[in-house]
Amino acid sequence: MSSEKSSEKKKEFAITKKELIKQKVLIIWTVVFVIYGFIFYYLPLVGWLMAFQNYKNKTGFFHSKWVGLTKFKFLFSDATFIRVIRNTFCMGTLNLIFTTVMAIVFAILLNEIRNSGIKKPIQTISYLPHFLSWIIVTGILNDALSSTGIVNELLKNFGLVKDTVPFFSIPALFWPIVTFAHLWKETGWNAIIYLSAITSIDPSLYEAASIDGAGRWDKIKHITLPGIKSTIIVLLIMNMGNLLNAGFEVQYLLGNGLVKSVSDTIDIYVLTWGISQNDYSLGTAAGIFKSVVSIVIILLANNTAKKFGEERLF
Amino acid sequence: MKSKTVKKLLTLTMSAILTVGCLTGCGGNAGGADAGSTAASDDGGDAAAADDGAAADDGADEAAASGDIVDFTFFGGMPGTEINSGNNEIQDLIAEKTGVRLKETWLTGQTVSEAIGSIIASGTYPDLIDGGDGCVDLYNEGVLVPWDEYLESGKYPNLTNYYTEAEWDQFRQDDGHIYWCNVFQNTKGEPTGTTHNDEAFWVQARVLAWDNYPEIKTLDQYFDLLERYAEANPKVKDANGNEMDVIPYTCLCDDWRYFCIENAPQFLDGYPNDGSVIVDFDGKDPTIVDYNTTETAKKYFKKLNEEYAKGIVDKDFGTQKYDDYIAKLSNGNVLGMCDQYWDFMQINDSFRNTGLENEGCNYVPLGLTIEEGMENRWHTYGDTLNVASGIAVTTDCSDPDLAFSFLNAMLDQDIHNLRFWGVEGVDYLVDDDGLFYRTDEIRANISDPKYRADHLCFYSYLPQYGGTSDDGKNANLPEEQPSEFFNGLAKPMQDCFTAYGAKTYPDLIGSVKEDVNATHPWFPMWSFSNNLDTSTEGGVAWTKMGETKHEWLPKVVMSSNFDSEWENYMKAYNDCKPEDFLAEMQEELDRRVAANK
Amino acid sequence: MEEKVLDTINENIEEVTEEESKVKYYPPKKRMKGGDLIFNICNGIFMLLFCVITLYPVVNTLAISFNDGVDAMRGGVHIIPRMFTTENYEIVLALKGISRGAIISVLRTVIGTLLALAANALLAFIVSQRKFVFRSQLSLFWVITMYVNGGMIPVMILYKNLHLTNSFWVYVIPGMVSGFNMLVMRTYMEGLPYELQEAAQIDGAGYMRIFLNVISPLCKPIYATVALFVAVGQWNSWFDTMLYNRMSDQYTTLQYELMKMLSAVTSLKGNASAATTGQSVNITPISVRAAATIITMAPIVALYPFLQRYFVTGLTIGGVKE
Repeated sequence: MSSEKSSEKKKEFAITKKELIKQKVLIIWTVVFVIYGFIFYYLPLVGWLMAFQNYKNKTGFFHSKWVGLTKFKFLFSDATFIRVIRNTFCMGTLNLIFTTVMAIVFAILLNEIRNSGIKKPIQTISYLPHFLSWIIVTGILNDALSSTGIVNELLKNFGLVKDTVPFFSIPALFWPIVTFAHLWKETGWNAIIYLSAITSIDPSLYEAASIDGAGRWDKIKHITLPGIKSTIIVLLIMNMGNLLNAGFEVQYLLGNGLVKSVSDTIDIYVLTWGISQNDYSLGTAAGIFKSVVSIVIILLANNTAKKFGEERLF
Repeated sequence: MKSKTVKKLLTLTMSAILTVGCLTGCGGNAGGADAGSTAASDDGGDAAAADDGAAADDGADEAAASGDIVDFTFFGGMPGTEINSGNNEIQDLIAEKTGVRLKETWLTGQTVSEAIGSIIASGTYPDLIDGGDGCVDLYNEGVLVPWDEYLESGKYPNLTNYYTEAEWDQFRQDDGHIYWCNVFQNTKGEPTGTTHNDEAFWVQARVLAWDNYPEIKTLDQYFDLLERYAEANPKVKDANGNEMDVIPYTCLCDDWRYFCIENAPQFLDGYPNDGSVIVDFDGKDPTIVDYNTTETAKKYFKKLNEEYAKGIVDKDFGTQKYDDYIAKLSNGNVLGMCDQYWDFMQINDSFRNTGLENEGCNYVPLGLTIEEGMENRWHTYGDTLNVASGIAVTTDCSDPDLAFSFLNAMLDQDIHNLRFWGVEGVDYLVDDDGLFYRTDEIRANISDPKYRADHLCFYSYLPQYGGTSDDGKNANLPEEQPSEFFNGLAKPMQDCFTAYGAKTYPDLIGSVKEDVNATHPWFPMWSFSNNLDTSTEGGVAWTKMGETKHEWLPKVVMSSNFDSEWENYMKAYNDCKPEDFLAEMQEELDRRVAANK
Repeated sequence: MEEKVLDTINENIEEVTEEESKVKYYPPKKRMKGGDLIFNICNGIFMLLFCVITLYPVVNTLAISFNDGVDAMRGGVHIIPRMFTTENYEIVLALKGISRGAIISVLRTVIGTLLALAANALLAFIVSQRKFVFRSQLSLFWVITMYVNGGMIPVMILYKNLHLTNSFWVYVIPGMVSGFNMLVMRTYMEGLPYELQEAAQIDGAGYMRIFLNVISPLCKPIYATVALFVAVGQWNSWFDTMLYNRMSDQYTTLQYELMKMLSAVTSLKGNASAATTGQSVNITPISVRAAATIITMAPIVALYPFLQRYFVTGLTIGGVKE
């Protein structure tokens, strides 16, 4: 608050008094928004200090013991935490790659459908799963993949397997299932941006290509894809910041004891240690690790894009 | 001070934004304004609103009628069946007598420690709580009310006498106070011994009938019987008469209930349920033995592995949740499993409702051992004192005196009878000798979920007694009334009991008859291991061992190459440093043995 | 004026179809025809498969929800109920938690959306003001929040200290302003012709008047978009209920009730039959879950097709800022 006031004063010289009076209402609201933002977004960052304490609810923030880097040392010597990082990172990457590729493929193929009487309904259907909560999606997935579910039924009917496949008991299948869940839920939705990017490509390019005798594949390869390249890159960078955020609800709802070693993510680790074991400091430390890595990833991605002379966020 | 300022700011910001919201005319003028005024008032009285939440919910009309009744809330750290609170006849009768109506909520969708963790995190507690494995966390948080002064005050004699002084002492935490009391396995008067509220390998009565009631003594014989029956009867009928595939054997591995798969080796070797370890005292000082690594354990899991490969073990066993499991058992197509009776006994009601009990779907316990001719101790004679968890009063409780008088009243014989027997003349009748009994019609009522929800009120996690009641004749619990017990069984079960010449469940199991507290004075060791937390090395090892077993045991059973998978499991298991845990157990064992000398 | 802007937006959306008609009109080359046909067939099959995979689970759930429970457990119910019944719905709707959860879910969606809309719009307006002294600082202040957050535990402790736990307000207050929504709105507002505002300013209008009377009416499409985003998020969230309102039944939400139901059926069975009369025999977890799932998804599934154009606009603006 006080820093806010002093900076106000500084600006006073740069801008006319009249203008400032006119902007009074804006400044008042700015103060309100800054206070709100400070409380809900910046104050929790102060809570990061807990990671260097042995925080106990009883003693609170001000009277808990300071323990330095002990919690971080525990984290990085804990094999589970290392595994959890691997899981989060791998599932995040798989999701990012597959959802991006699938969305682009879907957008391009949908764009190739000329009949809008067919195209519109397909588009509408494709958005549907996005609006369903993860609770519903995982519930549906559970039913579909259960021993009496449709997938096992089909596999058996086509003679592909003799016995039912216990999908959720096989660790090797967990990541693919999670990736599929994301694909199912978000493909249509993610394709929206690519579709609109495709439509903003200059149509004369296609006409020229047709005259040159280019087929559909050629046009996709040489006009459409380069045309949406910048969109793809911007979105990739944006989503990279979320790489480590992509792992909570699905894994929490689908995971079970058998696949724990591949299903637990950083967020679940935070939940287990922070909430179930009541070690708030350790939970916070794990959370800090996640935040910091996320920021590093997005900065790296941004810089890489810059180096190659591509679009970037900032 | 600080939070008040923040609150004020919040209210200010919010009402300001709301005003804007209204002015922009987003089509919600009225709604927006309403929300604004609620916000202002709610911010002031938030705590109060949260406190009497339950009262505001469903007690509004009741409160007007009988102003004296206080609504208390209760959270049970285990799944349970909610009754129609506020609309339940016996609950109201009890409320009239005690001045308290208890609204119970149960665990759903989370593990106990997660639920207790989020309760602690949110900072609002129910008036009464049974935190299960999370009891210690609540104690560490300092939110439980110490019982000592209430017990010593003499105002609550039932509670004071509920345990002997020595037993109460066992409940003391490291600060020397008592914070909870376990409500189970407490016999008043004489034990009637009809039920087997312990673990066993169970099998449907019809399977035994089909093979003319054979003697099943070993694990091999058990699975042989299941295999033969399943081969002869691949399909069974469900309640509607439709055919379903038979599931010869299922096994629960969900959360803490994975004892269903993991602890059988101790019993198969003839030891009682010390839970986390075997105590070997054959001709020497009592020694801790790890049952996870014994030859018997390997044989047992190898057997499960073979049976899994043969399709005898349920394909979904590794991932099923407790509720799936219960749903599956209720269908009647599961022939057998290994479990504690209390863990699945509710399906007997379901079998009665659906008529499946007449098909012989009820489960009969078998006292199996690994080799023939061994003693078994599946049934525990004598009460087991579990000091690790129980009912507690929280510091959020507005009137602890009332809470304790309510708990005290639970043990009054008339209220006890109301809870477990019901209303005289309605839920049970009294014969000329003063013995309580039930007719078939009453039994049908009792097992009807709707009737249970609207009429019965067990308060099943509040203090209660087994054994016989003050009149010296009747059992405290209907299922322990010998006459009532046998008459209450379905025909196929009665046939089965008769065929084996048994009158009670323990008769069927044939465990060694000994008072466990006399022969095994340290029993049960699990009351120590259940309370281990990650503050000691042994506790860390115990947690890790649990996680490893959780993950590996189903894997081992499902593996296509048992021996190599078992090696891998053993390697992972030894990485948890079980020796740390065993050392702490040995220490505790020595302490207990010394204390009993 | 307002219409003109709206038209531009509409054109943008219609573009998708318009442009195609232009593109599709190229002279078909003879040698490509075979390839095109194969392409079209493959594409058709792909799209068909896509739609089936997307729709089947939903339709299947619908079928099971209208099917007798015990019968459904035998398997084999796919698209059409085999033994039709509405019993599952009667049971689910009679559950206390569901009806209470539905009310709270509606309330949090409506109140949460209105609050978020008002707050984000105002914030976006402020940072879209070219002459505003703290424009860039305020903007940065909020952009940072998009990438840095305190994490679950500190946030939880904060809410507890603000007395937001065990209250309804935890659903609507904390997420009210978001950097992303602010950016989307700001981008849109900056795209509006500045002359409009200048004219109003010459007429002597203050900033709030400009915001309410000049800018907001033009922003209806983007307001609708953001409202949709927020509403979907509100309707679908369950974790906050589990974490912050665990012990407060009165603030339960539909999604959380569904979550409990999907992971627990024993207690459900007792409660469900308590709510109806007698017929408890035919209730199975599968059918009751299916009915609850349909009830939970119904409102949003019924609404979203009509809001398509809005979220297409919003996503396009939000995703590609340039």
